[in-house]
Amino acid sequence: MPQTLNTSGLCWNTSNRCDKLKTLTIILTDGPYISEYAEMAYKIAAKALQMAQVNVFLYLDAVHIPKRGQKPSVLGDAGHLFRDLAQRGAIVRACVRCAAARGYAAGDDGTSPDYEQGILITSLYDMAEMIKNSDQVISLSR
Amino acid sequence: MRSAFYLLDVAPYGSEKAYGLLNASAVSIEMEVTLGLYADGVYLALAGQDGQALAAPTMSDTIYAYPEIRVLAHEPSLARRGLLCESLIERVELVDDADFLQRIRAAECLIIL
Repeated sequence: MPQTLNTSGLCWNTSNRCDKLKTLTIILTDGPYISEYAEMAYKIAAKALQMAQVNVFLYLDAVHIPKRGQKPSVLGDAGHLFRDLAQRGAIVRACVRCAAARGYAAGDDGTSPDYEQGILITSLYDMAEMIKNSDQVISLSR
Repeated sequence: MRSAFYLLDVAPYGSEKAYGLLNASAVSIEMEVTLGLYADGVYLALAGQDGQALAAPTMSDTIYAYPEIRVLAHEPSLARRGLLCESLIERVELVDDADFLQRIRAAECLIIL
């Protein structure tokens, strides 16, 4: 069941600009290939980055998304997509409890040798801060 | 955002969803947080849970631990599952379809994990 959203909805107008959007947070919970949500989130975030701050929080199985060295046989590497978002200025964070449970270790600075560059493993409190400081929130979860 | 509505529509055990949603609600209490239980999510409100047999935390304990979180249960979902309000933990407010929807609309964001 695809989920979203801020109850006021996104505010794209006909010129493809979002006048109200200042900060967008996207929350993901699925693994990289069990659904299209990782790719959808990438596309939404990439577009939103043209006009707003974008935060992405990877929760539950979504902490697999930024794993370095993925080689999916028929799909694009989801890790590369989120590395690209981080390089373009998005703040991409993964839940430390979920990451540890799945074998991803984080250093004191939140970096992980298992992860693509620019994506940090941090506390779930960061997700709450992202939400609090956003004017739009999209959660994509099955 | 000043308020968030977290919606749970799956059973509390057997997946990480309910645990994840409860944790997300708990860290969000600087905002006005509502936890809405819908469909199989209403089982989270049952009294007398004990997660030990499943080697899991007892999910309803989180509700007691965070009185800041407002907990709503969708009454038609309870009725369809033969659950009576007497079988629920104390902190749960029962709401009908219209009220459940109204509470979602009143929140600044809806989060379903």
